[in-house]
Amino acid sequence: MSSVPILEIENLRTYFYAKSKQAFIRAVDGVDLQISRGETLGLVGESGSGKSITALSIMGLITAEPGVISGKIEFKTDGIQTNLLQDLENYAQVKGRDGQVMEVRKDCAGWQKHVERVMEKIRGKEISMIFQNPRSSLNPFIPIGKQVTEALLLNSGIKTRREAKAQALYWLEQVKIDSPRLRFDSYPYGLSGGMCQRAMIAMALASEPSLLIADEPTTGLDATIQSKIVGLLQELKWTFNVTTMLISHDIEIIKRLSDSAAVMYGGTVMEYGSVRDVLVVDLESKHPYTAALLASIPSERHIKEKAYLQSIEGDVLDTINTPEGCRFYARCNRVTDGIREKCQYHEPDLREISPGHYLRCWLYFD
Amino acid sequence: MGKTILEVVNLKKHFVQRRGLFSALRGQARVIPAVDDVSFYLKEHETLGLVGESGSGKTTVGKTILRLVPATSGRILFGGKDITNVSAQEFLSLRKEMQMIFQDLDAALNPKMRIRSILKEAIRVHHNIIGGQVDRKIGELLEQVNLKESKLTNFPHELSGGEKRRVGIARALAVGARFLVADEPTSALDVSIQAQVINLLKGLQKNLGLSYLFISHDLRIVELVSHKVAVMYLGKIVEMGLANRIAEAPRHPYTHVLWSSLVEKESREASGTSSGGASADWGVFDFERPYGGCRFAPRCPVYQARGRPEICINPSTEPELHDIGEAHKVACHFPL
Repeated sequence: MSSVPILEIENLRTYFYAKSKQAFIRAVDGVDLQISRGETLGLVGESGSGKSITALSIMGLITAEPGVISGKIEFKTDGIQTNLLQDLENYAQVKGRDGQVMEVRKDCAGWQKHVERVMEKIRGKEISMIFQNPRSSLNPFIPIGKQVTEALLLNSGIKTRREAKAQALYWLEQVKIDSPRLRFDSYPYGLSGGMCQRAMIAMALASEPSLLIADEPTTGLDATIQSKIVGLLQELKWTFNVTTMLISHDIEIIKRLSDSAAVMYGGTVMEYGSVRDVLVVDLESKHPYTAALLASIPSERHIKEKAYLQSIEGDVLDTINTPEGCRFYARCNRVTDGIREKCQYHEPDLREISPGHYLRCWLYFD
Repeated sequence: MGKTILEVVNLKKHFVQRRGLFSALRGQARVIPAVDDVSFYLKEHETLGLVGESGSGKTTVGKTILRLVPATSGRILFGGKDITNVSAQEFLSLRKEMQMIFQDLDAALNPKMRIRSILKEAIRVHHNIIGGQVDRKIGELLEQVNLKESKLTNFPHELSGGEKRRVGIARALAVGARFLVADEPTSALDVSIQAQVINLLKGLQKNLGLSYLFISHDLRIVELVSHKVAVMYLGKIVEMGLANRIAEAPRHPYTHVLWSSLVEKESREASGTSSGGASADWGVFDFERPYGGCRFAPRCPVYQARGRPEICINPSTEPELHDIGEAHKVACHFPL
């Protein structure tokens, strides 16, 4: 990636403490990612792989009391350059043994205050987010136009209500809500899911953020509406050139909208590179997990022959007792005898195997 | 060809909505025709896919067939027997032959019961067996749906989405059903888990000879599992026929729009030329709209292209489902 990175994540770990099990759930466990300016990064993975928690960690929305966030999230724009996680360790005491977290003591109030102080200038202004379920993310008691206006007053330089309203109308138009003047005073319940999602997108873009995080923007919408929203996102990408982090479990959508893609499994990135390298090229040069994921999508051949689909055997990773070796070892079908021992006992690192294409698999290392 | 297991004739389900106290007193009520004159049949060992956008009445069709909601009019024949109006007593014995796999399993599985009790209850209600036999039956079921025995002591919230789905299927099989209504069995599942569930359903059909009414809005999946496909729009079936014919050569403009809106297909076309044809103004659809003639006309590209012909919006000439050869039926005045 030649251009300037706007967001660099290094070794991000977000753990939650499960009281009943007296153990840590390692939701995000060592994620390294970067997004360059103007680029769309797609994050794919099964549910529970840590995609959304990565996003929430960036936004400073992890509030669960007994948890640990560590690592580095470097955010760089023209005006701002900060590590969003800086000084957080002052508020938490972590006792560890052999690299395992054993106990955490946390000054929750201080932590919360600190996070708010850091994020105040960033959340909604520099980084905004589109959430998974538009209906429940919008306030049901306030008309959508007013919600967009409010976001503008709060997050952009606009001071007067009249100006904000005009701007809100402009953005409702940009996201292709038909007759925006009419819809301006509609409540979320009176709009379809697709419309609500458009309003959400308008709200997120209205403050002209440097980075947009879209968490499953099309999940739960009908096929016809889904393709409309994807089309809209694509158009907005061309018009406004927003740097986007797109989270989805739908590989087709990632393929269509992203420039680069990261495949997550069990809280970490298994493969990272351009969409062409990661999701399109033949299955042989990929991480076995990515290959299995791609193979389980019904293809033309499956439909023609009414064949059985290929599924990934075994269960999703246990995020409490993460295995010693490769996280995917138990479900991997490409382990050879030569590397079996390494796979079982040593976790591979994320290595660049060809320019811009990173993999976490012993199969491709010498 | 097998025997017909289910036949639905002119099924209607109208929900009545009263608007406030005064209009209720005056006897005014709004009628929402969720299912409006639907007819189809299903053969043994076959799968009928039911597609349509949300709100098109797919789930209501499924629920009405199982008599979870009473039908307004029409007939439902199961195994040649009219079950539309049989007494509840009599229907109980039929219940064990027809079951439903519900869409939202968080709501369908009792959160306070362990998996073992959930399955046990289903077995006990319909079969007069005790003790060891029940356990043996549970063991069989687990094997059929490929679920670990250790999960029996878990509560539903401790299971993953795919596992919950398996429990839902096991519960439907527990009573010995031979006809299943599968309502969006793969929605909200990851592709890898979706593949497992689809394979499981296909395997069960092969081994136990089940028949499915497969309700889904995922067109690719419907095309993959179904022998026949029916496309619903606003409570009516607008096109019906063999799965591959519907997918490859749709004749109704709505089916065409539906299939061409598949993200995958669009991405393939996007590399060549932008496909702007089907993207007509695709607003919210409205049950309250007083329709006349074809329901799809206001959104129909063909209707626009042909200069809004009178026949499409004339209430007396609403298109009927008619045969156009090779078991392919379409309800349109100008099939593609």
